[in-house]
Amino acid sequence: MNKSLNHPNDELLTAYSAGSLPLSQALCISTHMEHCQSCGQRLQRLNRVGSQLMQQLKPSPASAELKSRLLDQLDSLTEEQSLAEAKPSESNSSIPRCLRQFIESGYEELPWRRVSSDIHSVELCRDSNGARVELLKIKPGGSATTHTHLGDEYTVILEGSFSDESGLYGQGDFMVKGAHDKHTPVATQDRECICLAVTEGPIQFTGFMSRLLNPFIRRSYA
Amino acid sequence: MPGMTKKLDSSDKLAQMSLCIIDVAENRDKAAFARLFDHYAPLIRSYSLAREPGADLVADELVQEVMTRVWLKAAKYNPRLANLNTWIFTLARNCRIDYLRRNSRYVTEIDPTDIFNDMEDEGPGPFQLVQQSRVEENIREGLKQLPREQSEILTKVYLEGKSHQQASDELKLPLGTVKSRVRLALKKLEVLVPR
Repeated sequence: MNKSLNHPNDELLTAYSAGSLPLSQALCISTHMEHCQSCGQRLQRLNRVGSQLMQQLKPSPASAELKSRLLDQLDSLTEEQSLAEAKPSESNSSIPRCLRQFIESGYEELPWRRVSSDIHSVELCRDSNGARVELLKIKPGGSATTHTHLGDEYTVILEGSFSDESGLYGQGDFMVKGAHDKHTPVATQDRECICLAVTEGPIQFTGFMSRLLNPFIRRSYA
Repeated sequence: MPGMTKKLDSSDKLAQMSLCIIDVAENRDKAAFARLFDHYAPLIRSYSLAREPGADLVADELVQEVMTRVWLKAAKYNPRLANLNTWIFTLARNCRIDYLRRNSRYVTEIDPTDIFNDMEDEGPGPFQLVQQSRVEENIREGLKQLPREQSEILTKVYLEGKSHQQASDELKLPLGTVKSRVRLALKKLEVLVPR
């Protein structure tokens, strides 16, 4: 596999497979996998470890009552299902399947907020661990100023591409930046860049002017 | 079935169960569903009890959730994407994630159903299946031969659903040791793709 920098590492994927990853991080990995077949295959292998471990468990018998209760429900389940399937199916938009729960129509319709002349952002939700899940939109050629994070930052590119000190990233690319990694993403000139970003703590802007802004940004996380 | 040279109990069972799921999918066959229940419900219960020992009601609820999905999604289950055991594992994992989310002290609106696809046909980018049976056997045989401290850690991670940090706290081991044990174990099972 090439470009290993732009995929989730084994540790993250194992936690994803085992189901112990915070949902916000799992969201990033799922989004990445909608673009990356090879990570899908890596995941399949990891899932089989869980499957085999489960098969080797000492079975804990289920009660006859549980079984008959379930069997009695089957017909009504089928009925409910055929009703649900009669509804019109969802549109086949370019928005990743796992993000459609937050984005109904398109990226344009979202309530974007201006962060700087180059960046707009919109918060999609928070995770139960407090992590913030948001979309960032960088204008063509725009820069996301040098920033560091108090916690890890997970990013997946949804549209367009950007480059930073470590290289060029395109649609579907996944990256994690640690608390002390400074980086300055710059969107390519041809189009705007939209990213999914999960941050575990407030972002710190490190440029001179932006340093003045930090107290205000931090407050919004309180 | 052609191609099955070794007769193993577990693969016979899997073959039987795979016929049942086809019957459920195509004929809505309740007797076949009952056989699936008989085999998988006790395993699903054990999976739940591994995380919450003694929580029988939670275990029953998980059985209910998973087996309901089996009934509803049987027709969408694609054996080329995952064998039945693996499909059931992912369903159980997904249902447990959902259960934990709903019962968490801190709520989040993130809906896990959209994140963890259940290996259905309409899932994103159908992954090709990597040589299924061989990988399967490697893992089964490999698990038997793992040193105890490595299989212990895999159990913590996969069955008890512990993060590396939680496993490190419980086993009173440095985080780095936990990580390297998981990694070594997965390497021996040949599930990590070399880069």
